[in-house]
Amino acid sequence: MGLIGNRTLAAVTSAALALTGLAPVAGWAAAGDKTLTGGFDVGPGGFPGNFNPLMATTGYMALTLNYQPLFVYDGKLSQIVGQLAKSYTVSDDKKTYTITLQPDVKWQDGTPFTSADVAFTLKLAQDKTSGSVYVDRLSAITDVETPDAHTVVLKLSKVNLSLLDTLTKLMMLPKHKLEKIDPSTLPRNPYWTDHPIATGPFVFDKYVTDQYVEYSRFKEYWRGEPKIARVVNRYFKTTAGAVSALKSGEIQISYVNADDLSAFKGDKGFHVIKGNSFVVNYLGFNFGAKIWDNQKVRQAVMYAINRKAIVDSLYGGMAKVANCGYVVDRYVPKGLNDYAYDPEKARQLLKEAGWDKINGSKPIKVLTYYNTQLSDNVLGAMQAMLSQVGINIVPRDVDMSTYNATIYATTPDYDSFGLVYAGLTNGPDPSNLNIGLNASQIPPNGSNYTRVNLPGVSKAFDTALSDADGSKYDSDFQNVCKAMNTDLPWATLWVTDRFGVASAKLKDFVWMPAPGGGPYASHPEKWDIAN
Amino acid sequence: MTDLNVETAIAPAPRRKVARRGPIVRALGRFGANRYAMTGLAVFGLTLAAVVLMPFVWKDPNGIDLLAINKPPGAGHPLGTDGIGRDVLARLLAGGRVSLLVAGVSTLLSTALGFFIGALAPFGGRFADAAIMRVVDLAMTLPPVILLLVLASITGPGIVPTIAVISLLSWPLLSRMVRSRLLELRERDFIIFARGAGAGPWHLVMRHGLPNTIDILVVYATLQVANAILLEAGLSFLGLGVPPPAASWGNMLNAARSTVVLQSYPWQWMFAGGAIVLTVVCINLIGDGLRDAFDPRADLE
Amino acid sequence: MLRYTLKRLAAGAAMLIALSMLVFILLRLAPGDPVDAYIDPMVKMSAADMARLRAELGLDKPLPVQYLIWLRDVLHGDFGRSLQRTGEPVLALIGSRIGPTLLLMLSGFGIAIIFGLIAGVVSAVKRGSVRDGTLLAVAAVGVSSPAFLTALIGLYLFSVVLHWAPSGGMLTPAMPFSLHDLLSHLILPALILAFYQSALVTRYMRSSMLEVLTQDYIRTARAKGVRENRIVSHHAVRNALLPVVTLIGSTLGLAVGGAIFIESVFNWPGMGLLLVNAVELRDYPVIMGSTLVIGAWVIVMNIATDLVYAVIDPRVKVS
Repeated sequence: MGLIGNRTLAAVTSAALALTGLAPVAGWAAAGDKTLTGGFDVGPGGFPGNFNPLMATTGYMALTLNYQPLFVYDGKLSQIVGQLAKSYTVSDDKKTYTITLQPDVKWQDGTPFTSADVAFTLKLAQDKTSGSVYVDRLSAITDVETPDAHTVVLKLSKVNLSLLDTLTKLMMLPKHKLEKIDPSTLPRNPYWTDHPIATGPFVFDKYVTDQYVEYSRFKEYWRGEPKIARVVNRYFKTTAGAVSALKSGEIQISYVNADDLSAFKGDKGFHVIKGNSFVVNYLGFNFGAKIWDNQKVRQAVMYAINRKAIVDSLYGGMAKVANCGYVVDRYVPKGLNDYAYDPEKARQLLKEAGWDKINGSKPIKVLTYYNTQLSDNVLGAMQAMLSQVGINIVPRDVDMSTYNATIYATTPDYDSFGLVYAGLTNGPDPSNLNIGLNASQIPPNGSNYTRVNLPGVSKAFDTALSDADGSKYDSDFQNVCKAMNTDLPWATLWVTDRFGVASAKLKDFVWMPAPGGGPYASHPEKWDIAN
Repeated sequence: MTDLNVETAIAPAPRRKVARRGPIVRALGRFGANRYAMTGLAVFGLTLAAVVLMPFVWKDPNGIDLLAINKPPGAGHPLGTDGIGRDVLARLLAGGRVSLLVAGVSTLLSTALGFFIGALAPFGGRFADAAIMRVVDLAMTLPPVILLLVLASITGPGIVPTIAVISLLSWPLLSRMVRSRLLELRERDFIIFARGAGAGPWHLVMRHGLPNTIDILVVYATLQVANAILLEAGLSFLGLGVPPPAASWGNMLNAARSTVVLQSYPWQWMFAGGAIVLTVVCINLIGDGLRDAFDPRADLE
Repeated sequence: MLRYTLKRLAAGAAMLIALSMLVFILLRLAPGDPVDAYIDPMVKMSAADMARLRAELGLDKPLPVQYLIWLRDVLHGDFGRSLQRTGEPVLALIGSRIGPTLLLMLSGFGIAIIFGLIAGVVSAVKRGSVRDGTLLAVAAVGVSSPAFLTALIGLYLFSVVLHWAPSGGMLTPAMPFSLHDLLSHLILPALILAFYQSALVTRYMRSSMLEVLTQDYIRTARAKGVRENRIVSHHAVRNALLPVVTLIGSTLGLAVGGAIFIESVFNWPGMGLLLVNAVELRDYPVIMGSTLVIGAWVIVMNIATDLVYAVIDPRVKVS
């Protein structure tokens, strides 16, 4: 019987192999060609399975292997420089941008890249039916002129200081390929995985569903032929999987969680890369739940959480305590209340506010989509600290879909998320916090889903955003910070560092664990691997 | 998948004998003589006593100490501390309470559900039988993943939803076994007589169905306790199950999802894993013992 | 026999339709839909934007209409496309996953069956010996260990500490296919799957053997002076296999959707992983399609088990 079982097994195994279509990979590269394998879409900056740049909200590290925007942040994320744009000028009223394109840029099929492609991409990105996530952010552009093949003139209806930031995320798309496709079919279109073309250093070869994406070098890349022959972006269900692949040498780079770092400490085979997450973490008071209206209650929450202890022990010091939405010196004014840990004061404030009558010890659900061990620990610690002063919170981590369905429900059950533990991008462009804090953004209009309606905060944002010439930019956002610190729309917690780990064999490898994975000037064409 | 050991253990069980008082006593006697089963019972009893009594005398399982996180076993913390400085031993004991409570209650519920559905089918008439059995077939064809994820995401995490989800996942197998036992019984003279005398389905189920399936129920229930412990752990592993800060063996084991915890702080998950395996082994031994004890062929030997 | 098979198949088809309806309803009861699954809460979204996205996916139609549209398409052989951005056809997705799942299942079960049968027989023949005790103890631990625990320990031990096996996936990406590469990825998850299954088979085979060995015809054979080895291999094993066949049949049926923990931990590109990802993303067409396929597999395996049973055991008549 054992024998029969064996033979049957062998037969079925080969049948299964045939079914899988495990044919030898075609076009296999010659020996000696270098392959970089990495987990480009691991962690919060990743977006596995998204190949449509118009719908990208994160995942730029993988996208910028092939796609390129007009502008890009430099390698330090401190200023915006040209990528496909060679130079640009802005009119005095800040309503006309004249952009000169790089000459000699070619699409990966050999067609020249021109201003017509730019105009086409902008039009597509402004078209709601294409599924573009940039419609709002580009709404100020009323007209795009193309006086010649390498000049683009953008006409704005009103000043938009975030325009260049938006343009760093908008990847240029080939007019000659996409004009034949009905824009409304673009959100789900095989085009994006069937040999799409772009202007970047690597060509998208194939996608094996939920497994990996394979890229090969574009020899006529306008900045020169890439040194690495192919790049493989492997997908992992969890960061843990990526970390073990990294340790076992199967991949050369990956995002890692702060608490994974100890696994690489002292290992000469790896470089740890540290960067600013540009995401501020907070406990968001759901004002819809009507238990947070008293400012003293919100202050009590701040005083009750020992943020410094959490940062020091759970994050190993790899985070900055935030007393408003920002931690960058530019936007943090002097004289903020630092809400140092003081449970006695918290109890006192709750007593004054009459917390017993407002909510008392009824459990308050904390909704979060963070599901790492670290965030479980952070929530556990905050739960213990808040219970000391008489606030009983119950964390609940859910998948993204449940999270969004709960916060954006047409008739939300506010009690199902009395608090949220979440994050919001606070840089490099500081105005981004507006979408979660301004009363004008309360759903259905926008993403202020904790229903913050504090006039002081909204007014500070409105002032900062309407600053026509940007002359008081820094002080405007300092005022936003001040308003957040006083009015407490959130219990702001911290801004964490983010970490990547790369094999020490990589040379000229520009990478940072940037928010959303970039985009920044990563120069993949220069990357190389030591033999 | 874990459902199977129930079927495995029960399938060879008798299909012919009608139980009387005598055999049950004799079965218990045989059970008492079974070395493995008694060892299982003893260890399980000790575990139960520890998790029920110890939390009263040991530390607070939810008390955090950020100055003593991830400490290996040693003085003060015999089994070490977890990621926010909670005592692992305290959590292991408190977690055992939750896990065994969830397992116990869900076993009672799924046994009751499985019994009534399985028993009503043969006595409830042809149409009810067909309808009920189709539902059972359907429930057994549905991939457990879907039911698990959907049910759990509707109910949310929590002890009560966890119990509900586990109970709802586990009954169809029992129904099937109860039904096939009672199908044979239905054709017996005394049942036909009782029906002729106007006995309703309820009377038939309670008066004749229950005593004649008690062996199946006992064995199923034991094995289902083991099963429920594993399911609770599985639910926690999927991020559902018993929510923090309450500890359960499942959510303690869940910490091993993090590479660091898995590699560097084995005491945070190893003891919970060990407790699950040990308890389930004991319960399986008890279940095996009960199965052998209730096997009518044993009477013939 | 043929009539019986056809009848069972027809009943199975009806069951599948009921199953699809049930899954459809369950999915709509779960919170969140495909649009919720691909919104980033850190990016601005207005209710109007979300309504537009829903309309594009046809999620604004009444539920019964959505179901009937789906059913009509399926009856025409069109399982639809994934709602994920790449919009792959559901059938192609499932097709690419069935192979790996079968490969993993069958290797795991193959190991389990071979090992389990041998261990079960040895354990029964040497009843009460040290060897029996050891095998029973290992089997008891085997059926009592949650799959995700063994998978995690296995991954950690063999991949991270010992570097014996790769940490996940089925083939090294961007490498030419080689059998060695496939096997090195396969061996660890297959062994872990086999650990639990072989424990199950061992226990079952042992009790079945013990029962057979007390039967009259075995005693008769012994009395006639037939050698013990021959008794075991020719008479006992064959008869003891009967109940084990049922076990293997029903386990194989359930296993396609059941190796989910192992597939998750090892990132094995099978049906289980497909289903978990699809549920997370509320990818309705993929969930419906894979449930149908898994359901059909369970039904076919059940029918096949009954038929095999009838073939092996002449006393059983199918009706």
